Amino acid sequence: MDSKEFIANVRRSLGREAGAPPPAPPDATYLALSNQQVKSKAQAISRDLEANADEYMALLEKSAEEAGWRVARCENATEAANHILNIVRDVEATSVLFSGHSALDDLHLDAALSGTGVQLEAMVLDDNSDKKAQRDDFRQKAINADIGITGVDYAVAETGTAVLLAQKGVSRVVSLLPPVHIAVVEKGQVLPSLDELFTLRRKEFLNDKLGSYMNLISGPSRSADIEYQIVTGVHGPGEVHMVLIG
Amino acid sequence: MAASSGQVKASLFVTCIIDQFYPEVGESTVRVLQRLGVELDFPQAQTCCGQPAFNAGFWSDAKPLARRVLDQFQHSEYVVVPSGSCATMIRIYYPELFHDEPESLQKARSLAERTYEFSEFIVDVLGITDVRHLIGDAAQTDMQKVTYHESCHLRRELGATTQSRALINALPNVELVEMDQAEVCCGFGGTFSVKYPEISGAMLQDKLDRIGSTGASSVVACDCSCLMQIGGGLEKAGSGVQSVHLAELMDDAIGQKPRANG
Amino acid sequence: MQPRIKQFPQLSSEALANNQIQKNLLGLYDGFHKARISASEATPNWDELSDRGRAIKEHTIENLDYYLEMVERTVTAAGGKVFFAKDAAEANKYVVDIAKARGVKLVIKGKSMVSEEMGLNHELEKAGIEPVETDLGEYIIQLAGETPFHIIAPAIHKSKEEVSDLFQEKLGTPPMTEITDLAMEARRQLRSKFINADMGITGANFIVAETGTVALVTNEGNGRMSSSMPKLHIAITGMEKVVPSIEDLGIMLRLLIRSATGQRISSYVTTITGPRKQDDEDGPEEFHLVLVDNGRSKLLADPAMRESLYCIRCGACLNACPVYRKVGGHAYGWVYPGPIGAIISPMLTGLSDGKDLPYASSLCGACKEACPVKINIPRMLLYMRHQLAEGDNYPEHKTAPFSEAMTFKLWRFALSSSLGLRVFGGMARILQKLVAKDGRITKLPPPLSNWSKLRTFPALASKPFRSRWKG
Repeated sequence: MDSKEFIANVRRSLGREAGAPPPAPPDATYLALSNQQVKSKAQAISRDLEANADEYMALLEKSAEEAGWRVARCENATEAANHILNIVRDVEATSVLFSGHSALDDLHLDAALSGTGVQLEAMVLDDNSDKKAQRDDFRQKAINADIGITGVDYAVAETGTAVLLAQKGVSRVVSLLPPVHIAVVEKGQVLPSLDELFTLRRKEFLNDKLGSYMNLISGPSRSADIEYQIVTGVHGPGEVHMVLIG
Repeated sequence: MAASSGQVKASLFVTCIIDQFYPEVGESTVRVLQRLGVELDFPQAQTCCGQPAFNAGFWSDAKPLARRVLDQFQHSEYVVVPSGSCATMIRIYYPELFHDEPESLQKARSLAERTYEFSEFIVDVLGITDVRHLIGDAAQTDMQKVTYHESCHLRRELGATTQSRALINALPNVELVEMDQAEVCCGFGGTFSVKYPEISGAMLQDKLDRIGSTGASSVVACDCSCLMQIGGGLEKAGSGVQSVHLAELMDDAIGQKPRANG
Repeated sequence: MQPRIKQFPQLSSEALANNQIQKNLLGLYDGFHKARISASEATPNWDELSDRGRAIKEHTIENLDYYLEMVERTVTAAGGKVFFAKDAAEANKYVVDIAKARGVKLVIKGKSMVSEEMGLNHELEKAGIEPVETDLGEYIIQLAGETPFHIIAPAIHKSKEEVSDLFQEKLGTPPMTEITDLAMEARRQLRSKFINADMGITGANFIVAETGTVALVTNEGNGRMSSSMPKLHIAITGMEKVVPSIEDLGIMLRLLIRSATGQRISSYVTTITGPRKQDDEDGPEEFHLVLVDNGRSKLLADPAMRESLYCIRCGACLNACPVYRKVGGHAYGWVYPGPIGAIISPMLTGLSDGKDLPYASSLCGACKEACPVKINIPRMLLYMRHQLAEGDNYPEHKTAPFSEAMTFKLWRFALSSSLGLRVFGGMARILQKLVAKDGRITKLPPPLSNWSKLRTFPALASKPFRSRWKG
């Protein structure tokens, strides 16, 4: 049905005439905040993140465990890289993909994993080559990979969540297709709760930078559909690691 | 809200089910309230709050009965109802029933403010929970194990979850053993019990099983509709467990109930 | 999906007699129901959150026209397309036409109750397109040719033996005794579907009007698959699923997830705003949002029923309902079972067809107690009963039997005065001598005889209370 007709029908059902002014959003909905208020909130959140980075990291360590992540706290990038090396060995992985998150740069994964015989692939398109061919190639690699390693864009302490945005250098499937996912979280990335996350996303929206896709990942893929028994790994990764640096 | 001195005056809305089927519960209600210092009156013209017709959807048959209640209790300071579902009908549903009749709506709102279920009235209005000081020599002293069925309207429409348990717990000769799923419906639901007897029966059976598991000698509730369902089921099953209204339980402790011979 | 809501008495009877269903239903109280209660108790200010969630939904529904306009603007601005479907037929046509135009052969589906409402799978199959349900529970019932048993866990009525038999029969797999093995088999089977699908169809738990964003709540990852792997993604849902701001999602997600399964949050929450952006590494090139009316404007138009549209489809009312816990989802005969189904199924498909549903309730209110947005379901059940009995607003549905109407007329007449009560009560006391013994009646006459199968009935007291009162 034509959208105008459809919406006119909805309006009639509500007992209103066309041309009614838009409603003033009540305080219950955050839409009641002005753009300026959102931006101020976002600034306050960013300051708060820095000031309380240690506390939020500690909270995340606990909540991520509770959510089903295998959590490792590492003092620095070298320790983290070593920990990842151990995971790769435990899994007996032969093919590992990683995303273009900047957190991974410091890990020097290629060095850490050299000599293991593991095939390590960056999921980042080369702007100079045929994009379509690269995409198809990556997809195939993701389908066959044993482990996907990513950084995060944010983490949420309330729920033990890694937040990944689809963006240049970060595909949607690197944290979905391989049966093991390792998420690396740096200090200062941890938000206290879901509310801060959505405020920051809203600020990004106001700056036209919302992006097309965001995943909140809180533990392994799970289902209790058969007789209430929880099984993991159907269909996303069944084994998920969170490596906390700092 | 406690009535510290001076007699509290209240009218009794005894409910049609107690009036016709369980008059002894009405008598216990009167004795208990009078022992607690309430000056009680009973408007004789009362019949029914109209809930059965209302629940069945026949609101035009419920309304005349409701209007009678609005008029009969217009001047009562308090109205006490020994039934969570009937108290709900008066307090919650009368204003809805008369939402488009301004005169009756006003009366309904006024009545709603003055209407209390039995356990609510004792705890919230009289401010009394512990009645040990009123226990007479002739009262029961044998220890009995009881369990408590939480009536749906009492809990979910009136929000009265603590008063009845507090009153039971305060009785010295009574040990309250909670059953599993005490708050789950017994399956009565008025005409539901005869329209959907299999489902109602299945819900009842679960309730009977849970009562049985407590080892209690009695199940106590604040609604005779629940007690009709549960008591009827207990009797049919040949169980020795008694079904008792809270007023009767308290009457045994503090009332000056004539000793029954059998 | 063709409604069978008329068959409630028969279907509920069958469910009560089915031992497997009864066994599996037992898990609901200690499982989902208690989990929700624990989660709500562990959430600070749950009651406030609940009030706030309700206020958000109330505001949105009261201004749904405004917010739907906003959704159209913002989804379009994000590069997606919005289609408003008046009914199931229009929605089906839109989806099938796109699929045909794009040469789609294989469709992977995340859970979408609205697509069940539409009977979409059947329409796709008619067009030579293969739809594959990828939610584990939906996959199982698709193989079994059944309808969902529960909003959150569609196959929860099946034993692992039944699932093993089903896989053997439909997939040719060997018998499996472990649930893990069954689940892994499903993963194996669906892997190639994920990889080769031309189109992904999902539902939408929330649509954010401000940003044009669809939020998907899943635990398995099939929603992520369906919105990441294929070139084309269509999200289908009811027009009422809108919330105003992306910042509202924190509140709504907590209410939904903690009420549905008791989890603090699901394994995945995925937010989708249009198709892939230019710099994205992957993702669908095309995104469509289909918003379906299919009778919802009828609910909207009736102020007494409007709040049924606040429902966020958490399933808490099912888990809390003592009737649902006895008869399960199939008895309700359509897509939406339990208390919320008892309201919307008849209103959406035919009130007098569904006349059992509002009455097959003891009005205990457990649903209202459980609802995270405080929908007053008992109030609406009573309203629907009133329409069936007296038809004020729906005269065509005034279908209560004449005998019932007469019974209450008579009852009202008898109770219209204390004299009437005395007279009729007196008569009844005489008649009951035929059946009463020692103050009890073991066999009530029809139409009340159903009572006596499991219960005795009290005889009318020889002296009613009113005769005993001393003023």
